[in-house]
Amino acid sequence: MKIVVAYKWAPNPQDAEVAPDGSVDWSRAKGAVSEYDPVAFEAARQLADATGGEVVGLTVGAASVDSPLARKAALSRGLDRLVVVADDRLADADGTRLAAVLAAAVRSIGDVDLVLAGDSSVDVAEGQVPMTLAGQLGWLGMAAVSGVTPSADGVVVERDLPGGITTLALTGPAVLAVTTDAVVPRVPGMKDILGAAKKPVEVVPLDALEVPDVVAATTLSGSRPETGNRRGVIIDGADASSAAAELVAALRTARAL
Amino acid sequence: MDFGLTDEQQLLLESLDELLERECPESYIAELDLNHQPPTTFRRAMNDAGFGSLGFPEEYGGTPSDALTLVMLAERVARQGLNNGYGLELLQAMDILEFGSEEQKTEILGLLANGDVPFALGFTEPGAGSDNSAMATTAVHHDGMVTFNGTKTLITNALQSRYLLLMAKDPQVEDPRKSISMYLVPMDAPGVTTNRLDKIVWHISDSCEIFLDDVTLPESSLVGVKGNGFKQLMRNFELERLVIAANCLGLAQCAFDDAATYAAQRVQFGKPIGSFQLIQLKLTDMAIKLENIRNFVYKTAWMVDQELPLKSQGALCKRYSAMAAFEVADEAMQIFGGVGVTVGTRVSRLWRDLRGHRFGGGTDEIMVHIAGRQIVKDHS
Ligand SMILES: Cc1cc2nc3c(=O)[nH]c(=O)nc-3n(C[C@H](O)[C@H](O)[C@H](O)COP(=O)(O)OP(=O)(O)OC[C@H]3O[C@@H](n4cnc5c(N)ncnc54)[C@H](O)[C@@H]3O)c2cc1C
Repeated sequence: MKIVVAYKWAPNPQDAEVAPDGSVDWSRAKGAVSEYDPVAFEAARQLADATGGEVVGLTVGAASVDSPLARKAALSRGLDRLVVVADDRLADADGTRLAAVLAAAVRSIGDVDLVLAGDSSVDVAEGQVPMTLAGQLGWLGMAAVSGVTPSADGVVVERDLPGGITTLALTGPAVLAVTTDAVVPRVPGMKDILGAAKKPVEVVPLDALEVPDVVAATTLSGSRPETGNRRGVIIDGADASSAAAELVAALRTARAL
Repeated sequence: MDFGLTDEQQLLLESLDELLERECPESYIAELDLNHQPPTTFRRAMNDAGFGSLGFPEEYGGTPSDALTLVMLAERVARQGLNNGYGLELLQAMDILEFGSEEQKTEILGLLANGDVPFALGFTEPGAGSDNSAMATTAVHHDGMVTFNGTKTLITNALQSRYLLLMAKDPQVEDPRKSISMYLVPMDAPGVTTNRLDKIVWHISDSCEIFLDDVTLPESSLVGVKGNGFKQLMRNFELERLVIAANCLGLAQCAFDDAATYAAQRVQFGKPIGSFQLIQLKLTDMAIKLENIRNFVYKTAWMVDQELPLKSQGALCKRYSAMAAFEVADEAMQIFGGVGVTVGTRVSRLWRDLRGHRFGGGTDEIMVHIAGRQIVKDHS
């Protein structure tokens, strides 16, 4: 089974600075594998190990997504090899265009049985790329996948949806976006990190791919999320029972109860 | 001179961050401290992720690593607020890898891989503290066997360990440099009894008196060469001091971060206390000490990696780091005000644990005793 993990080299949220007005400054953030993507790496590795398959990492983005550190960071998470499309023409690409490039790259890798992706990226968080990718490939696409296990002629997929858990059998190629807690990703150790430098990396030029044109939308305006009116209420805890009563009253006033 | 991290160091530290977040949150450490329990599940997770065998030769399933990287990892674990959470077991493994028999290596590395503490280190005695050469515990060899008699004290992790790495002397030999040997004694051997000492520091590690009454074992319990125990122990001490210094650095950084955050939030006289210059002076001097400790520790590790002779470097580094780190924690506690001495405030634990490092691995004064002689010798 040939499994592609489509992941994003995204700014590390630990380096993001949140201003008092709620705006996020990513300018000083270093890159990292996007927070929820390691789950997809782990699910792919487990599936490949169970079926004797191969795991190919795939990332597309601006030129900065390809650095020795970025390569090792991805390859140390259980990939067999890596395919990168890094071009500054993709610097501000929206989800649809990124999905179109990813689809072209998946086609160029060839004979792919399954694409796994994380739930959403840590910086943009639209959660749109995996399903658009499925559409571009003309494959089955499923979000909210909480488990993938091998079966005789494909995979068994578990989905965690508001209505409950559904179990499905898949035979054809598919794009699956896994939930953040589908599996616990292993932490790369020194062996994995040192081994990463020796694994093959293929840099595919953007111009070598056949990417259909996508008309981009124009952003008209943006606003910060409503954070509500924050209020600090300090309750004297000297007497526990009256403090509890005061807390309940304060929560009622704030309509939290 | 390059002060940047290599890609490998950066990725390894990021991995460790993930593991610490998952397996070693403050609530876990506080609970261990309260109940005087060892961090066994965290150690196991570290081993599963390959951190436990970092620095071991490949033929023993390890991944070779430089001392600088190991020291950064030890610092990072301590910065989480966990005392002695990483590094000391590695040193123990090194002792056995360097001096042990094949059988001893298999046994000890197996225990390490399982997250267990393979052995406690037993040299201190009621009558022999700083002066190790005064030790009175005897090892008498006879008919392929060896019999031990004596008392050890202040032995860390004795109750958690399967073995005691015992230093004992041949009563027939006068010169302590030739009479002392190293042995691996099972803690459950007949004649071994322990008495737990209650102490106010290092609650996650037990400390014990150990009594050896006619404990008789096969001679294969000898580690390394008979009569070379003292030399073998000194080898261990050099690296142990570096790991202790890295541990002190991390704990002090943790105390500093807590105090600086608190200073920015705690309001008195209508302002955050961090706006008062007296508090800023404390934070500034703490930051300078941390920078100094870090440079000292990293440079000493770099010297180990370059195979430069350490001479008194390890003693200088250990003395400065243990003392300055405690000063940082003490000022951190001061910044917290009265709440700083309560059990629920992490800084109180850091303060206690750092105090212990001014004894373990050799006291502040003994570091002067070692370094001072060397300095005079180098200038005569
Ligand atoms: C938390 C902790 C963990 C420990 N873990 C272990 C362990 O795992 N295994 C083990 O074997 N031991 C262990 N020890 C023991 C430790 O190594 C000894 O406490 C240390 O070597 C000092 O010996 P002592 O306590 O007998 O003090 P002493 O040697 O009696 O010293 C008393 C005081 O005199 C000073 N002093 C002694 N000689 C001189 C000198 N020549 N010049 C100036 N001042 C001097 C000392 O610095 C100290 O201030 C541990 C101790 C502590 C506190």
